[in-house]
Amino acid sequence: METSTISAREEAKQLKKARRSETWRRIKKNKLIYLMILPGLIYFLIYKYLPMYGLIISFQDYKPYKGIMGSEWVGFEHFQRLFTSDEFWMIFKNTLMLFGLQVFVFFPIPIILSLMLNEVRHSFFKRSVQTLVYIPHFMSWVVIVSISYVMLTLDGGIVNAIIESLGMQPINFLLNEEWFRPMYILQVIWREAGWGTIIFLAAITAVDPSLYEAARMDGANRFRQMWHITLPAIRSVIIVLLILKIGDVLELGFEHVYLLLNSSNRSVAEIFDTYVYVAGLQQGQFSYSTAVGFFKGIVGLIMVIFANWLAKKFNEEGIY
Amino acid sequence: MAKLKRVSAGSRVFDFFNYFLLALIAIITILPFIHVVGSSFATSAEIARTKFLLFPTEFSLNAYEYIFSTDTIFRALGISIIITVGGTLWSMLFSTLTAYGLSRKDLVGRRAINFMIVFTLLFNGGMIPTFLVVQQTGLLNSLWALIVPVTINAFNMIILRSFFMNIPESLEESAKIDGANDFSILFRIVLPISLPAIATISLFYAVTYWNTYMHAILYLSDADKWPVQVLLRQIVVLASGMNYDSAAFTDTPPPETTIKMATIVVATVPVLLVYPFLQKYFAKGAVLGSVKG
Amino acid sequence: MSNSNWRKLLGIMMLMFLLFVAACSDNSSETGGTDSSGEEGESSGEESGGDEPYAFSIMANLHTPEVPQDKVLNKIEEATNTDLEIQWVPDNNYEDRLNTAFATNSLPEAVFLKNQTTFVQFRDAIEDEQFWEIGPYLDEFENLSKLKENVLDNTMVNGKLYTLYQGRPLSRQGIIYRKDWAENLGLEAPKTTEEFMEMARAFTEDDPDGNGENDTFGVTDRSDLVYGAFKTVSSWFGTPNSWGEKDGQLLPEFMFDEYVQTMDFFKEMHGNGFINQDFPVTSKTDQQEFIKNGTAGIYVGSMGDVLSLKDDAIAINPDATFDVHNYVEGPDGEFGIWSIPGYGNLVMFPKSSVETEEDLKKILGFFDKMMSPEVANYAYWGMEGEHYELVDGAAKVTDDSALFDREVKPFQALEIGEPETNSRYLGYFEYEPKAKSEELFIDNENYLIEDPTVPLYSETFSQDGARLQQIITDATYQYILGQIDKAGFEAAVEDWKSQGGDAIIEEYNSSK
Repeated sequence: METSTISAREEAKQLKKARRSETWRRIKKNKLIYLMILPGLIYFLIYKYLPMYGLIISFQDYKPYKGIMGSEWVGFEHFQRLFTSDEFWMIFKNTLMLFGLQVFVFFPIPIILSLMLNEVRHSFFKRSVQTLVYIPHFMSWVVIVSISYVMLTLDGGIVNAIIESLGMQPINFLLNEEWFRPMYILQVIWREAGWGTIIFLAAITAVDPSLYEAARMDGANRFRQMWHITLPAIRSVIIVLLILKIGDVLELGFEHVYLLLNSSNRSVAEIFDTYVYVAGLQQGQFSYSTAVGFFKGIVGLIMVIFANWLAKKFNEEGIY
Repeated sequence: MAKLKRVSAGSRVFDFFNYFLLALIAIITILPFIHVVGSSFATSAEIARTKFLLFPTEFSLNAYEYIFSTDTIFRALGISIIITVGGTLWSMLFSTLTAYGLSRKDLVGRRAINFMIVFTLLFNGGMIPTFLVVQQTGLLNSLWALIVPVTINAFNMIILRSFFMNIPESLEESAKIDGANDFSILFRIVLPISLPAIATISLFYAVTYWNTYMHAILYLSDADKWPVQVLLRQIVVLASGMNYDSAAFTDTPPPETTIKMATIVVATVPVLLVYPFLQKYFAKGAVLGSVKG
Repeated sequence: MSNSNWRKLLGIMMLMFLLFVAACSDNSSETGGTDSSGEEGESSGEESGGDEPYAFSIMANLHTPEVPQDKVLNKIEEATNTDLEIQWVPDNNYEDRLNTAFATNSLPEAVFLKNQTTFVQFRDAIEDEQFWEIGPYLDEFENLSKLKENVLDNTMVNGKLYTLYQGRPLSRQGIIYRKDWAENLGLEAPKTTEEFMEMARAFTEDDPDGNGENDTFGVTDRSDLVYGAFKTVSSWFGTPNSWGEKDGQLLPEFMFDEYVQTMDFFKEMHGNGFINQDFPVTSKTDQQEFIKNGTAGIYVGSMGDVLSLKDDAIAINPDATFDVHNYVEGPDGEFGIWSIPGYGNLVMFPKSSVETEEDLKKILGFFDKMMSPEVANYAYWGMEGEHYELVDGAAKVTDDSALFDREVKPFQALEIGEPETNSRYLGYFEYEPKAKSEELFIDNENYLIEDPTVPLYSETFSQDGARLQQIITDATYQYILGQIDKAGFEAAVEDWKSQGGDAIIEEYNSSK
């Protein structure tokens, strides 16, 4: 009995050693690869990790003139203030609702759009549409929101003029809780859907055209070809983008929401970024806004870890 | 060919709807841009008279004459072009190296490094510590300050990496047997078949660099070095009457809408031209064709 | 793509990269170039009489689209014997830059603060003696000592002075209205709130433009309860300016009946369609558009806006005429108008960059000269003959107003004091209502309602005031739109009190 345990232990040791030398061998084999990623790593360390000490101030009562060393420690006071504030759950809910719209309504649209574009055989038409739909991405939210105002206002906006000419009651789009979310997501779709297709179109190019020919031989119609050939080819890109999107759960475009926010829709439109803008930045409360940023990061991290774990469950590569 | 014709009945209906829908979408997305371009060529009077102006009846170049009457916009455009071209090349160099390295499945420590990079997407130290690092690395008031601190965008790098991972390993294996080292595999084999991905990520970087704005204000105290977005932003914000706070303290009437629109056009059109130029790299079949050839 | 094509592309990219590196290093030599221009400045200083120009930097907010050319700056430098570097920061991001520079110890020698809000924000740091106290030095300077006592009082921190101010008329608020419309309908300028309501009604319902269509409304307003119409109308009703005294206690304006009366007044206008229905989300540009294109006839705000409104309006309708008016009595038969604290911007001097008293005095010396008529006119009006000409002892901007906007206007941000103290020329305006608006600014000074909390301090207000104010702003709009009733508004006030308002009331009253 005893001798066998000893030999088992020996064996385990041997195995460990072998594994270690195997690891070492793999590292050595890839030394050029390490050389390749070294500059990138140095970049991340210097410009991303080094400044992260700034997160410390979320546990302080930070005063710029005292610096991090001289500022007073307050522990979790800022987090407490955030979690116990009257608006916390309202903001949390609003943020999740907009996030849901982003994932379930917006996210599939560029995929569908690029599948549609992929079916276009006239390359001039295809290129023209592609170019036109990507243009809105270059217009700032200020411009988009002000154009929306001009079209939707009760004071002579086109949309309400049309509604009235059809004999219906004008709709109060702007000063209204109900229209905020549709307006938000429509503007996001309008601005970003075309831009979003670029990545999928690039992925689609990797599809071997002979696969379509084979499918046609088998009598597959256009939808079946999309479903069985095009979509699987871009699946990994879709999943990577989806995980990254999920990580942005509390990051919904400050400027856009801030511009749409008004007194009548605050109860559905206030999100963490807009909340902290008034509470923090406008009044120089660095610690509080950093604490809220920290909180957002942690929520994002949890979501990413979960989404990545799920992806791996389904034998996908994930993002790390 | 004969076979193709036979299935084309249903296919034709599909095509009709597909073309129709796409055309409709294209029109809807482009209308506001036409509004912007149209307004830039209109007179102020017409803009005030017409609610959603698309095509001006009186054609006026006043706004453009105003913008181009000093060399400010030329200088700003020049700087934007320098940082966009230079920054994109710089970023692509490091992003490609890192992304390819991390796409190799046999790399020890790969998962930890990937996680470390994902982490930077979620947490950042804030404006002030980042400013200090930029200051310490001696970049303040140089155009490098707009480039080096954003060398690799983790999002772009991850996308690029996932493109690289889709390349069949057999291609690299066979090259390795021929005695090629990792650098030559990357440059001779992986990159040429990844042109759509390279073009996409280059476009992403180019657009980010073109839109650089906040960093310019924070890191460049010399206004001569500001890119065109600073100018654009200033005009758009002033003309939208958003900074009512200080507007109330000065008697300055906001810049005219036509000038705002013309500035948007001048600051946007150069970057719009990048995509059509890159489109040829998205041609279907280019990838495998090149491998075979 | 074939292999040789790929190599070509790679080659081109390498070439571009090299060019880029070259361009960037070129740039660094350009930086060297600016240094040498600095030397040039020095040598010209020597020519002008041995005394070397004093070199320092000023950070100021840019409220025009472009950074100005050096022409006016050179004049100012010459006249003050300085070598100035002005760090312009776009107005919209001034706070970001200010905070970053402050936290990283890289503020220049003289820093403009942009507005009252940022001043309150810096109070902590000022109390911590991060900035020079300048009160004791003012008497040494001929012009700085002329600065108005009461405005200086408004900018003191614990009774000490740290800043120089840029003066602003105490109240520019009033009405701009379509005179031709009023004449069509036989209306006079409104002298009471009732007449104001009547004008708003008539402009909406009685077809003031006589085109037979129901396409006009009375008042055009925007999403701003302070600089829009609301606060001015509230003054007519006798509401205090932000804070007022009731039974010996300081209380916020919205706890006064007059505030509620003002809301009712707006609610009536809104319910009847006398005011643009979406005014809580209307931008200043869109608000002004309604006046310019002849949709609305009344504009409540800065009366000085009449000139730019008129210019654009007559381009559309050459027959449009305007007038300005200030005096509107409330139900109690009295007229009052809220005032600002008399300054628009403030400049202060960080100890981190101004190291010695001697340096401080040199910089104060510069601002002292900025207050001399010669230099003040350079900064405000530019060069005579080129940017403006004198008419009856007042400055009239030349026809090329674009040139003026580009070369002079940004420097107005550097003005110290006001025409009374720095003796710069007043503006000459051919357009009569504009000239009248300048007179009415002065007339307003007889009826001012001041904010009693300006010299006071509340810790809670400076930390949480903006967020708390939002509760009231939201409730005010919702009440006007009919989305909440009186009870709902009172609930919001209670909310304000419980979330920190009570503390603010208590702090202000104890610091009286």
